[in-house]
Amino acid sequence: MSNARRGTTNGAPVRTEGLTKVFYDENRGEVRAVDRVDLTCRQGEILGLLGANGAGKTTTLRMLSTVLQPTSGRAWVMGHEVRDQPERVRASLGFYSASTALYPKITPRETLRFFARMNRYPARQVDERVEELVRRFRIQDYADTRVEKLSSGMKQKVSIARTVVHDPPVLIFDEPTVALDVLNAIELRQFIAQLRGEGKAILFSTHIMSEAEQLCDRIAIIHHGEILATGTLDELREATGLHYLEEIFVHYAQVDDPAQAAEEQLR
Amino acid sequence: MAPRQIWTLYIHEIRSALRERSILIGSILIPLVMYPALLWAGFAGVSFVQGQAERLTSQVAVHGLPVTHRALVDSIESNGRTVVIEWDDDPAAAREEVARGSLDLLVEFRTVADGAAALDENFQVAIYYNGAQDRSRGARSRVESAIETYRRNWIDTARRDLGIPNPVWADFAMARSDVATVEESTRFLLAMIVPFLTLIMVALAAFYPAIDATAGERERSTWETLMTLAVPRSHVATAKYLYVATFGAMGGLLNLAALTLSLRWILQPLAGADAQELAQGGLPLETLPIIAVGTALLGLFVAAGMLVFAVFARNFKEGQSMITPFYLVVILPAIFVQSPDIEFSVGLALLPVVNVALLLREAIMGSVPLLPGLLTLASMAVCVAVAVGFAQWVMRNEEVLLGSSQGGLWSFLKRRIGQGRAAA
Repeated sequence: MSNARRGTTNGAPVRTEGLTKVFYDENRGEVRAVDRVDLTCRQGEILGLLGANGAGKTTTLRMLSTVLQPTSGRAWVMGHEVRDQPERVRASLGFYSASTALYPKITPRETLRFFARMNRYPARQVDERVEELVRRFRIQDYADTRVEKLSSGMKQKVSIARTVVHDPPVLIFDEPTVALDVLNAIELRQFIAQLRGEGKAILFSTHIMSEAEQLCDRIAIIHHGEILATGTLDELREATGLHYLEEIFVHYAQVDDPAQAAEEQLR
Repeated sequence: MAPRQIWTLYIHEIRSALRERSILIGSILIPLVMYPALLWAGFAGVSFVQGQAERLTSQVAVHGLPVTHRALVDSIESNGRTVVIEWDDDPAAAREEVARGSLDLLVEFRTVADGAAALDENFQVAIYYNGAQDRSRGARSRVESAIETYRRNWIDTARRDLGIPNPVWADFAMARSDVATVEESTRFLLAMIVPFLTLIMVALAAFYPAIDATAGERERSTWETLMTLAVPRSHVATAKYLYVATFGAMGGLLNLAALTLSLRWILQPLAGADAQELAQGGLPLETLPIIAVGTALLGLFVAAGMLVFAVFARNFKEGQSMITPFYLVVILPAIFVQSPDIEFSVGLALLPVVNVALLLREAIMGSVPLLPGLLTLASMAVCVAVAVGFAQWVMRNEEVLLGSSQGGLWSFLKRRIGQGRAAA
């Protein structure tokens, strides 16, 4: 990474500056899904993106992972700008969400090998890395069984292994526990905490307050596409004088009537 | 780096596809087994129906038969499949019976007025048949043949009686002879069948892979996984394109191979003992490279076209409905090659798909005209490049990538044009 790039990102693996995404909808016209978002995620940190459904969390993360192009603003991942060097950005991160499923017709071992190769893991070390993950995630027993025949818990393990197979310094988890049962959700959160211990920069989006409280080092509250506040839980408590994250969220989002807000969200 | 990444993506697509039952059936099993089997069944069916029709006994009514020509009845009945009924009532009633189908034919004799004919006892015949009935058409053919033979013999006898020498009479004789060899006849038959089947096979074999590579990814929720790979999107599009084209061309070539190997078996119902001889005059070896190139070009073109339509689909059902019109348009040129009168001209050589169908036809017949042949290659190469470029452009679009685009290709183009105008 060049010094110039380090300067741009201030040394943080992930940084955004005025990141904006505007969609055009035939019925609603221009929709500002993400509005001038400034974020920074440091090494060895879990930054939680907390917001209701439709707040702009997924769109923000999709721009960071280069699936979507920003309408304006900039974002860097490991010093690579998302618009200028999308392949390098993608090689530097692992993306996990409910919409990133596995290929049903291939086996976990084939899956890991494919994603390692495509994400630029050194070719000679691919097999070694795959076997390491097979052991680490304890998937030896079904490593050569087609994914379509695995249980959802098994698939989840393979999916996480797929996300980290190229050993990326940045990881994005977009509402990862949304379709999981309690035990699998706990296991996933434990694994994410382990990754933080390994020095990864982790962006974690959720609408579940308790999850954000337990796992995140810092929390960014996003509502209607805008970041309303960012800080540690203690900082947010101090700033608002409120104890529970749910109350803090309602305070920032200025939601007087949650039922009415949910109705608006649906519209 | 790029070729290796594309290759890895390509192999990944192929591996998954080869484990998908619907693709295996549509792209490999049907071209390999089903169409040769269907052809055989079709020929056997036609042969069986013809055999059944030939065994039927026809009921033929005869009205006004001159006494001096009574031998004609024996002549008509001599084939053993015609029963003659002497009809003395009003012939209009017999015509109604023919129309109803209870009689197969009415043969009405009309005497020629005295002095109007060169020969005494000459007669005219009116045959009433029912064109909507197979049996009636068959009876007409047999009775016409019997009357013609009788007429010829009767006139010949009269000629002798009048002392007219045969050579003078024979000046009006007509002879016909087929100068085509068995090999040429077989090639003609194949030239009518093979381009038609190849077009269908290529389109059919590319059909499911095209949907699998696009709508299938969305339905399985693997599309976004694919979009997060550290490779340019153009590599993903190229690998998908090559995958669909491979299956399309493979379907066409497998079908050709299957047809070649099973030719004798397919022709057996039609040609019987001659099938061996006919089969030996099958696809000429020297034309196989041209046929292979033509099939590959078809695969490349059809794959690009199908991807352009299928990329808008969010699930298999949408994919099927979006591709089907293109599929029909692609196999439509098969009608062209079914007519031997259509010449492989320079103009037609510029028309995609039609040109390849005609190229295949000419190659099977044994001679490809140079200029139309070269123009076909050039025209198809340009079409493939344009179609691939267009497919890549469509697949780079964000709303298409995310599957949030409403409608198919036409709606997308309309929106793009609208946006362009608004921006201007």
